[in-house]
Amino acid sequence: MQQQLPYLLPLFCSLGGATLCAIPILYMERIVSVISSHLAFFAAVYILFRPDCNQGFLHVDGLSKLMLLTIAMVYISTVVYSLAYLKHIRNPLFQSRLYYFLLNVFASTMFFSVSMDNLGLVWVGIEATTVSSALLVATENDQVTVESAWRYVIIVSTGLVISLIATTFIFGSAGTLSLRDLFHRHPSNRVYLIGALLGLIGFGTKAGIFPMHTWLPDVHGKAPSPVSAIFSGVLLPVALYAMARVIQADPVATVRIFALVLGILTVLTAALMMTVQTNYKRMFAYSSMENMGMILIGFSLGGAGILGAVIIIIAHGLAKSAVFFLTGDILGTYHTTDMDRTGGLLRRLPVTACAFFLAAMAVTGAPPFAIFAGEIFIFSALIAHYGWLLALIVMGFLAIAFIAVNFRTGKMIFTGEPAGDRERPHIETLVPAINLALSLVSLLFIPYIQQVLQKLPVS
Amino acid sequence: MNQTFEVLGFLLIVLTLLMQWEAYVTGVIFLFALSSFIVALFLVLLGLSRPGQNYLLFVLAGLTLTIRGLIIPIIMNKALHRLYEKPWRVREDKPAMGVGGSILVSLALIVLGYFIYQNSLYEVLKIRSGSVPFALFLQASLLIISRRHAYIQMIGFLMVENSVVMLSGWVFSGLPFIVEAGAILDLLGLVVVSSLIIRVRENAILQEGEGFESELRG
Repeated sequence: MQQQLPYLLPLFCSLGGATLCAIPILYMERIVSVISSHLAFFAAVYILFRPDCNQGFLHVDGLSKLMLLTIAMVYISTVVYSLAYLKHIRNPLFQSRLYYFLLNVFASTMFFSVSMDNLGLVWVGIEATTVSSALLVATENDQVTVESAWRYVIIVSTGLVISLIATTFIFGSAGTLSLRDLFHRHPSNRVYLIGALLGLIGFGTKAGIFPMHTWLPDVHGKAPSPVSAIFSGVLLPVALYAMARVIQADPVATVRIFALVLGILTVLTAALMMTVQTNYKRMFAYSSMENMGMILIGFSLGGAGILGAVIIIIAHGLAKSAVFFLTGDILGTYHTTDMDRTGGLLRRLPVTACAFFLAAMAVTGAPPFAIFAGEIFIFSALIAHYGWLLALIVMGFLAIAFIAVNFRTGKMIFTGEPAGDRERPHIETLVPAINLALSLVSLLFIPYIQQVLQKLPVS
Repeated sequence: MNQTFEVLGFLLIVLTLLMQWEAYVTGVIFLFALSSFIVALFLVLLGLSRPGQNYLLFVLAGLTLTIRGLIIPIIMNKALHRLYEKPWRVREDKPAMGVGGSILVSLALIVLGYFIYQNSLYEVLKIRSGSVPFALFLQASLLIISRRHAYIQMIGFLMVENSVVMLSGWVFSGLPFIVEAGAILDLLGLVVVSSLIIRVRENAILQEGEGFESELRG
């Protein structure tokens, strides 16, 4: 047990932070959340340099370690950005104490999900992310926000029941839910296969994978910006982590092809939907969906595909959270999410506009950002497995997404008349700027990421 | 024992059909509590039929009875009382599908569940009435789709969960206790959070009407 404790440190830090939020001292919840998120980050870095853990209830391998680190980085930035952002909410549903409590619990459920060895407990963790985050979505307390929170609860929970059924099938046929056992024991019966396929659909609901993605634009479009940032940056990848584990547990052609098809359909749907958006937050929600589709394609291919998928998870987590923080800045100034009414950004908020331009380029896979490198790895694996034609089709849809996002953000930044005077740079813009810089720098760590991932069963 | 399970399974199907027919929210909550009692009874009988693991199944039956059968219906009833002056008169006004139509579709789904099971899993599992949990799952999903009242949609989701408990216990050897217990606690948390969201949502709809569709489209 003592050997397992260091791997639970991020979980304990965030849970400790949540508990201390209950102490009724002025600003206590903010101070505690900042401290606990930083401690969780240092713990995640410490775990990165420790050997893999395959004991008891824990399964912390290279993929889990990188997930822990990504969650911790986005967790810190969300807490710090929330300090400034919550002031903009006019009619909050609850006090800031409850907001930070839920944010800390939410982070701890994600840490829990990526550390567990038991697929059933991974499910419990992911379902717990819904419980802890549903109220966060409704923070702004208007009718549309509350409606989107309700849709989130009912669609995601029903989707996750499908993955619970999948877990039942897998347990019924394999006799275990332990990931380390499932990776070595692949029962070749129909029940196990159906379990794996249902698992992809069920967890895919939470990851925003086609066809159960409908909650995603509603929630990202209406949730407060820090909540959209943590949802897009790490919640979706945590659900994809569960899908990756399902693929690893049954790496047969049927499961891989099914995951590949779901991934391609997700990229296709997201790219087409992005072209008709008028709300910038919804547009970036579809951009997240497109990136999740690419990550799933990577996981389905294995080898270089997995490396590409993990690079995108890290780089997208940082860059997309930066995008949503910046949308919070824009929303706080313009008081609208309508792109047609958000013109002249460069003249009104020059620093935010520059960061927004770079962030939009980063999330759409423009070089030299790391998402571009991740996509290169995935395409190399896709071409090696299925030839050029399929790769060209996917590239075509990525190009549509790239043009749709960058044309629209370019229009917001460079054209139109600003509805107010030029403003001084907002201090909170520093948080997305740091995330964006980290997203760029993560390119340098690709050899190290490859080294960490080398021991994965299907690498 | 298998015949007893079949009777309990069919009772659950009948209760879900009654939910399709029932218009009053309090009535649907009562039917859900009743179905949770049946699931708890099923777990007790399962424990009796499997002497090796009966202790944990009895604990699970106790948790099901307390949380699904008592606490969740009480929380939902209390939330209804806070929201409406006459909670016993709250009913589904605008169902997405008429009562007659939804009962017919429900019956069709029972047949569909049977065919899907017979043609996919029966060969492997060899359990004659294994289609019952699948039919229950499809029916409960229909309840979520066919109704627009948030409380009834929530009950539909809880019935889906009940069908999974039946599936795991009856068709397979059940999930590990820690997973089942975790799922029940998640469910409790979800109901508490959902009750809060539903209360705010219904309040907003009562005061402002439903004017949000255009903002959540596309």
